[in-house]
Amino acid sequence: MSLVDFMWMSIGALLTLFTFSYLYKDNPFYKFAEHLVVGVSAGYFAVLLYYSSFMPKVIDTVFRPIEWKYFILAFKQIKPEYLLAALKGSQWWYLVPGILGVMMWTRFSRKLSWISRFSLAFYMGIGIGASIPLTLQNYVLKHLTSTIQPVNFTSLTGIWRLLIVILVFCTLVYFFFSREHKGAFGASAKVGIWVLMIAFGAGFGLTVMGRVALLAERVIFLRDYWVELKYFLYMLFKYGMLL
Amino acid sequence: MISKIIFYLSFWFDFNRVNVLVTLLVFFSFLIYFIGRAKKGKSLFIRRIAGLDAIEEAVGRATEMGRPVLYIPGIEDMDNIQTVASMIILGNVAKMAARYETTLIVPICRPFVVPVAEESVQQGYMAAGRPDAYDKNSVRYISDEQFAYTAGVNGIMLRDKPAANLLFGSFFAESLIMAETGFSTGAIQVAGTANIHQLPFFVVACDYTIIGEELYAVSAYLSKEPKLLGTLKGSDLAKLIIMIILILGAILATANVEWFRNLFFVQ
Amino acid sequence: MGFYEKLMSLDRRWVYLCVAIAVVLPFLLEEFGVPIFIPPYITPEVKSVYNFVEKLREDDVLFLAIDYDPMAKAELHPVARAVLKQCFKKNVKVIISALSQNGPGMAEQLISQTAKEYNKVDGVDYVYLGYKPFPALVIMGMSQNFKLFFPKDYYGTPLDSLPMMAKVRNIKDTKGVIDVAAGSVADMWINEGAGRYNYPLALAVTGVMAADYYPFLNSGQLFGLVSGMKGAAEYEYLMEKGGYMKKEEFDASRGMPIQMFAHIVVILFIIIGNVGYFMSRRKKS
Repeated sequence: MSLVDFMWMSIGALLTLFTFSYLYKDNPFYKFAEHLVVGVSAGYFAVLLYYSSFMPKVIDTVFRPIEWKYFILAFKQIKPEYLLAALKGSQWWYLVPGILGVMMWTRFSRKLSWISRFSLAFYMGIGIGASIPLTLQNYVLKHLTSTIQPVNFTSLTGIWRLLIVILVFCTLVYFFFSREHKGAFGASAKVGIWVLMIAFGAGFGLTVMGRVALLAERVIFLRDYWVELKYFLYMLFKYGMLL
Repeated sequence: MISKIIFYLSFWFDFNRVNVLVTLLVFFSFLIYFIGRAKKGKSLFIRRIAGLDAIEEAVGRATEMGRPVLYIPGIEDMDNIQTVASMIILGNVAKMAARYETTLIVPICRPFVVPVAEESVQQGYMAAGRPDAYDKNSVRYISDEQFAYTAGVNGIMLRDKPAANLLFGSFFAESLIMAETGFSTGAIQVAGTANIHQLPFFVVACDYTIIGEELYAVSAYLSKEPKLLGTLKGSDLAKLIIMIILILGAILATANVEWFRNLFFVQ
Repeated sequence: MGFYEKLMSLDRRWVYLCVAIAVVLPFLLEEFGVPIFIPPYITPEVKSVYNFVEKLREDDVLFLAIDYDPMAKAELHPVARAVLKQCFKKNVKVIISALSQNGPGMAEQLISQTAKEYNKVDGVDYVYLGYKPFPALVIMGMSQNFKLFFPKDYYGTPLDSLPMMAKVRNIKDTKGVIDVAAGSVADMWINEGAGRYNYPLALAVTGVMAADYYPFLNSGQLFGLVSGMKGAAEYEYLMEKGGYMKKEEFDASRGMPIQMFAHIVVILFIIIGNVGYFMSRRKKS
């Protein structure tokens, strides 16, 4: 491992230990690590957004292909043909969503903030319009057809399928808001909440596994760093002795 | 001639998904019917959700202790329906906070949610007759990045020590971190999300949990808005039909009748 | 305070200490010459992902979506690395995107390191598209035409000039998608991607999210599911059996002994907490 890599690894190990220090109690080292991650992620994302979105979609498509000499001539001599020549290679229509984006910034002005509602409505409309039919298809119909299966008491598969149908029914009853949970309806809802809690328990277990995995990776990293640190200190001592 | 028309129409209309269209139209007709009924003033019954009292209790407790209420609307953008429901609940919480003169802090993860949250809080204060008390700085953009946002929210919990934490919206891996930090500060916590994998953490770390679709029911119940009430009733009717289809479908499938199941099959 | 009440109100730092000891224990055992390797039980959903890639032939194109950021690196990096290794060894061409906002740099590092191992050339054997915001729209766009959102690749090379992209116009021209995701992008692949355009999709997700996606596996919307570090360890084990990896190259599998000991500690504390709860309730009544 090179000295530079070891230096970065040292910084990583130090920040890991700063974050772990929160386990004892909140302290300035944890706060430093917390603020660092907030700042670095904001900065990284801002730069990434500029180079992956703004540059290719606005600068490279709209402004870079413009023939500026014709553009200036078009305004000096007021000749539309010069303007057409200037904009020939430019995909100027990308300015339309660009303007919608700029309209969002009017939110910061008390007088002009009503303008941002148009952009918001456009954005929400596209999002909802695209996702509703797909959500119905992928989250309702496909699951419905996979749940409607032949059931029987003779095979394990048949019993599982019957159980799934009953438990899905009871869970749906729990989320039925138009009737009070009383009598047989209430009993079904109780079965439904039990099904939910069992499912939550399974989910919780998987999550504990996930969290332990994250801890494991950090511990492996620290352990690998410890091995590198021992080697680094040994080399330092060795060359120190030689000197 | 007809085959030519169908051929050209297939560029604009996917004939394999007619059942999706029919389902959508049936579902929308339920919604429109019940919204119409609600607008006419006809009463639509919704059973009381247990977590509802908890929200008012949480805000009341924060007022008694003289500490702020922290409202976390999840980490998703406005295109997520949970965030939309959360904004409605935020409006009602803001109304309660304005009435009790309690400080409200709303940390936001997505830039697009900031103007909507500001609008909701402002409307809440206006509805309580306290537009002057509205503090624009109560809604704060923290970070777009998931764990950077979590770190920011945890910082607010540890420094400002809110007495009540209300977590309503879409959450992912940060849910347990936030709920646990809130628990350690001794705050009363009420949470609600439709993200199933985060519900277990809210159930163990929070005082009250509103599960899944109850989040949307709470927003309808609190706002009493005809559109929300009508939507809830419409979806209830859709659920009833799904329950009937399930039972009927299982019986018919067992009897080797496949056409019923194939009605809902999407390629 | 009674004994059972004390059990229930145990300072959480004791729990942290016990977990810390459990986590350090495998390393200590290794130092004392008792290394622990636990061969994982291979679940059918992980095996189906491995078999899918195994059945691909030379020059087939696979789409690998690396949609996680460094926070989820522990659980998902091993899977992404393993799939890339398998593809490169089999001379399967790979198109890669990184739709998580903090992930592109990390993904590029992984791709260039793995490509160097197998002498793979950018543009010929693999193409790295990079990042664009609004994943749902990007997925829909890529399913129609890659150039809609990625006229150039991550390195600024126009897609038209890349030899590999001559025969591939959109995702439907590939054999399928393996999405390694740590957030809502997985849902977008199911909804806006495979759900709309009908191409094979498998997910590799964090342990937290895994429970949410089993219904999609059962309904046939996914052909495979790799969940968390354990799933990654299973995949690595299959890779070793298939001759693609050596034990020394294992990443996720190194964490399995730690997982085992940590889980034992967690289970013990759950039992202790519940014993304390029920006994103190019994005492009160």
